[in-house]
Amino acid sequence: MVDPNLSWLFWGYAAGWLLIFGYLFFISRKESTLRRKISELQEAMEERWKQKKA
Amino acid sequence: MLSEFDDRPAIPLWLLAGAALAMVVHLYLVFMWVPTEATMGIVQRLFYFHVPAAVAQFTACFVGGIAAVLYLVKRDPKYDDLSLAANETVLVFGLVNVGLGMLWAKPIWGIWWTWDPRLTSSFVLLFLYGAYLVLRPAAPVESRGVVCAVVCILGMADVPLVYLSNRLFRTQHPAPVLGGGPDSGLAPPIKATLFFGMFTMMLLWVCVLLVRRRVARLERAAEDLTRRSHELEDVRSY
Repeated sequence: MVDPNLSWLFWGYAAGWLLIFGYLFFISRKESTLRRKISELQEAMEERWKQKKA
Repeated sequence: MLSEFDDRPAIPLWLLAGAALAMVVHLYLVFMWVPTEATMGIVQRLFYFHVPAAVAQFTACFVGGIAAVLYLVKRDPKYDDLSLAANETVLVFGLVNVGLGMLWAKPIWGIWWTWDPRLTSSFVLLFLYGAYLVLRPAAPVESRGVVCAVVCILGMADVPLVYLSNRLFRTQHPAPVLGGGPDSGLAPPIKATLFFGMFTMMLLWVCVLLVRRRVARLERAAEDLTRRSHELEDVRSY
């Protein structure tokens, strides 16, 4: 017979892991976005410096 | 600004592999090895996730707080980045801790929540760190580090209160099983599973902290570049 409290255990562990790995996924996505933004900004600044020198 | 350090993976491979292995072993210990506790039954197994999450949360509070103090003394942005990273993990692991506590409380107490000293002080702790994260982007850039460091130190000061709350006051929360009175203590397999759970959660927390600290460094670099780009734009238009 299945323990009636098994669902609490399942949801507890599922929610805990989901929260931690969801957060890890979220910050990893944020890292990629920031890397892209930084390289775009660096390129734009180099372009402006070139224009300024010209 | 970014350095060569920022191009390497945020988490060393050995740490990532160790954390993954420890997680598998921990799940085996919790679901296959440790015997079911006699009074509470199967739902007591939430304890092996709830307590390690609380340990990771408290460690994060201290790391964030000490980094905040170091920032106030040295004014080096790397301490502010570390403090931000640690404080955000306080909220994540704190939500896991409180959430699992609520999922345990419902079948055992019959209620999700009660305003007893342990639960209330835990709620205040989460609230303080939530306030920190709301305040941070709203604070002026030049004084942001200082303002946030002060809030963070206040948060760290709440940790001993949370820890001592079920020792100093009568609470509905179970009495401490480690370092409690003469009647406290755990059966050896329960203690071994709990300690292994703490070790696993600490490895996982370090992984999360390292990734978040990297993101904090990148955020600072992006902010710096945006400001310099605007300054360059202003010079050109002038």
